[in-house]
Amino acid sequence: MGINFLANLSHYIPELMAIVTMMGLLFVEACFKSSERNRLYLYLVSGIGLLFTFWSLGAALSTKPLFIFTNSVAIDPFSTLIKMIMVLGCAGSIYLSADSEDIYPNLKSEFAIMAMGVLVGGMLLASANNFLTLYLGIETLSILSYVMSSLKKRDDRSSEAGLKYVLYGGVASGIMLFGMSHIFGALGTINFSEIIIAFNPQDSSQTTVLLVSFLFVFVGLGYKIACVPFHMWSPDVYEGSPIPVTTFFAIVPKMAGLAALVRITMGLFGEDQTILQISWIGVIQVAAALTMIVGNVSAIAQKSVKRMLAYSSIGHAGFMLLGVVVVDQTGASAIAFYGITYLFMTLVAFFITGYVSDHYGNDHFERFNGLIHRYPVMCIMMIITMISLAGIPPMSGFVAKFNILAAAVKKGYFTLAIIGGINSVVSLYYYLKIVRLMVFKPVESEEAIAGFGIRNQIVVIGLSVPVIALGIFWSSILSLSSGAHLLLP
Amino acid sequence: MSGILNWILWLPFLGMLGVLLIPKQKESAIRWWSVFVTAVTFILCLMLYTNHDQANPMMQFVVSHPWITQFNIFYKLGIDGISLPMVVINGLLFTICTISSFDIKKNIKGYYALLLALEGSVFGVFMALDFFLFYVFWEVMLLPMFFLIGIWGGENKEYAAIKFFLYTFFGSILMLIGIIALYFAAEGKLGAETFDMVKLMGGHFSDLNVTIFGSSFSFEKIFFLFMFVGFAIKVPIFPFHTWLPHAHVQAPTAVSVILAGVLLKMGTYGFLRISYPIFPSAAHYYADMIAWLGLINVIYGALCAMAQTDVKKLIAYSSVSHMGYVMMGIAAMTTEGMNGAVLQMFNHGTSTAMMFLLIGILYERSHHRWIVRPDGSKGFGGLYTQMPKYSIIFIIGMFASLGLPGLSGFISEALVFLGIYQKYTTIAVLALIGLLIGAAYLLWMFKRMFFGPVNEDCKDYSDANGREIFYMTPLAIMVIVFGIYPSPLLDMMKSSVGKLVVDLAKFAN
Repeated sequence: MGINFLANLSHYIPELMAIVTMMGLLFVEACFKSSERNRLYLYLVSGIGLLFTFWSLGAALSTKPLFIFTNSVAIDPFSTLIKMIMVLGCAGSIYLSADSEDIYPNLKSEFAIMAMGVLVGGMLLASANNFLTLYLGIETLSILSYVMSSLKKRDDRSSEAGLKYVLYGGVASGIMLFGMSHIFGALGTINFSEIIIAFNPQDSSQTTVLLVSFLFVFVGLGYKIACVPFHMWSPDVYEGSPIPVTTFFAIVPKMAGLAALVRITMGLFGEDQTILQISWIGVIQVAAALTMIVGNVSAIAQKSVKRMLAYSSIGHAGFMLLGVVVVDQTGASAIAFYGITYLFMTLVAFFITGYVSDHYGNDHFERFNGLIHRYPVMCIMMIITMISLAGIPPMSGFVAKFNILAAAVKKGYFTLAIIGGINSVVSLYYYLKIVRLMVFKPVESEEAIAGFGIRNQIVVIGLSVPVIALGIFWSSILSLSSGAHLLLP
Repeated sequence: MSGILNWILWLPFLGMLGVLLIPKQKESAIRWWSVFVTAVTFILCLMLYTNHDQANPMMQFVVSHPWITQFNIFYKLGIDGISLPMVVINGLLFTICTISSFDIKKNIKGYYALLLALEGSVFGVFMALDFFLFYVFWEVMLLPMFFLIGIWGGENKEYAAIKFFLYTFFGSILMLIGIIALYFAAEGKLGAETFDMVKLMGGHFSDLNVTIFGSSFSFEKIFFLFMFVGFAIKVPIFPFHTWLPHAHVQAPTAVSVILAGVLLKMGTYGFLRISYPIFPSAAHYYADMIAWLGLINVIYGALCAMAQTDVKKLIAYSSVSHMGYVMMGIAAMTTEGMNGAVLQMFNHGTSTAMMFLLIGILYERSHHRWIVRPDGSKGFGGLYTQMPKYSIIFIIGMFASLGLPGLSGFISEALVFLGIYQKYTTIAVLALIGLLIGAAYLLWMFKRMFFGPVNEDCKDYSDANGREIFYMTPLAIMVIVFGIYPSPLLDMMKSSVGKLVVDLAKFAN
């Protein structure tokens, strides 16, 4: 057992690496009080740590998929790819936090530490193969997220965001835990592999209990993904949180929750059509349609860019749920592809919004007026990203949507595909709003925006390159994502 | 000659990069470079015309490279007798537009870069033989259009630009779902999933059924409608035309010319290249509907044009009316009707481009376009006395639009009538009313603007200058020559159109 455990640990290096980085950051925070050195070491340690985590994940991508820790954690290409997306998202938001005025200087290291913690939780969640690890992952993810959202202590809305997040998260995870306990009561196991064996479709009383309890589990996951009707917390939390935190929330917890949902759906409901399977898929279908519609329609009326992006990310989660509905490998691959493109688009959009809102103190749409006349390069990157988010070729957002639509159409989900398509049109309207203000309106003020220094410009350009490049040369990324197989119990 | 399509397609994009490299201050360098690029592209288009084998109805100059192997997506280009006229007129109109746009004063660099990007993507639409590639160019084209209308347009430009973008995007997203459905349907019918238009053609899908919104539909009939919406918005077919007057009125002159001259034809081209060959049974099924919609376009467009007091809006609605003839010709599915439709696509391209350019020239002098101002006074008057050379060109363009025998518009409209009369006699007779209204609104407009005493504020208008006459002349010559001698155009399209008609006839029920 002990040796086996150690052997298992060798497959868990990325997670361990992230934990070590987090502890290293704690050490830096404790040892170096002078802020100059503190910051240098802070970004050095987190950068190196994330780089190694990423690198070891990359190495794990090609290893044989397997279950470790007595079947409680699945290490497979799909989860590894999602983890890589999360690591990059984490790195991006830590980079953004360095310059952001939204995070108080003395809290920058705390932000990085907590981001690493959430990342560890997310990695656990993406690999979870039984309900205990799933719950542990969600809680690790959530508890630190609550703190992160109220990181801007002296700001009312940030505190409000934290409180809302705690209340909502507490209720959701309580309901989820309640559902899990019933699943254990009905089947006598919490391990996904054993649930399939223990489940007897003919037993109607068992099915009745499981119907309700799986619905409860979906509440918990749905709240992490922010899918309708469990999305209410998300716009307020996104708006109230400091921008680096919002960036982080838009990527890491969302991708982790989706990965867990994909694993449960494909692992437990991939085989025969039972009542349970049909109703689970049915629930996700309805949730996907509602999430797309509510997210995109609500985004239209927003005045704050951050809030608009929050609603739009709800819409994108809905689109990714289409890939879950498909319940096969093409759907999972499409989600992985979508995640990769979504990562870069989100980072560019939030970086630019962050720098603009740092300068003006708010992120109302009018702050973007005529920006192209002063920062043409940044604005072109923003335009590219907005166009890509709306799903217009030749940008990567289009290819991502194409993949999801292809997976849905292949299985005959035309209605959902049409709803998804029409939502892209709706989303184009509000994405164009930013483009319109930047390009067609006169300049508002001549002051230089501090965030748009050469270094940040280079980073934004670097992040925008994949946004276009993956839309034209997507063959290699496609083979990466279609190789992202799930290891099913 | 094998790679010539690559050159035609990518030269404008290369030209765009060139524009971006030229410093902003060197305005005349940017202008002349763009003229050079578009002219070279046009010369290549002419070379394409001379090397095109007119007897061969199949795709020619085919270029094919794998692009995304996982989805069987190819970078595949090719032209036949239906797309060649469109490619040629695209090359011609863009060359003229770069010259006519010398009047643009605001942000010249951005303007020409976008114009060249637009040219390249329109070429892509007319050349692509891979459905995915087609869709990419179809959408890419929206971006330069959006900015061209939105930045260089008139007072209500933002609204027009966004309406144009959203409307077209809505249509194309339905088309995308149709494309994906076709891709997967091809596996069952053709043995392999494919986006290759040529392989998909031939009515392979007539016996398939699909379930949408819980009920079962014939695959062909439902996805014909999906594609129909995408193309109909572009044509535009009534009731999908509401974006067009806004876009036209707000767009700068050159963009209006391109919009009316080439972009509208992308819709009808879509019918000829995609909807009809791929869904032939559905084409017969919906033929009546399309013919009637074409008739509505003709009459409704003409009536709307009659009511306009803004001369540019008047010509915009006349486009709606003229595209109705194309739809009628396509719906007839006879040799005459189809040839008439393709010829009308070309001829409307030249005549409407003339009208928009002429209005642009006038606008340079007047800075308004009212035939009758909102307060009831005359916007123009006695222009014939004031600007004789301009008026002569205007007369040629107007009569070509009107369909006067001896000018190009007549030939194509006559062919369409010949084609439609055999099948839809009622529609043909009713469409004559549209022709009559067409004559009425154009002549009435001409009377109000050009005859009578010279208006006070028209007194200082100068006549058309050398540059303006220079870029109007080729169009005027074409309108006259192809009105008397249309064979070069008909020969170019004859065999491909003939093949399409024969293929479609096999599926008549």
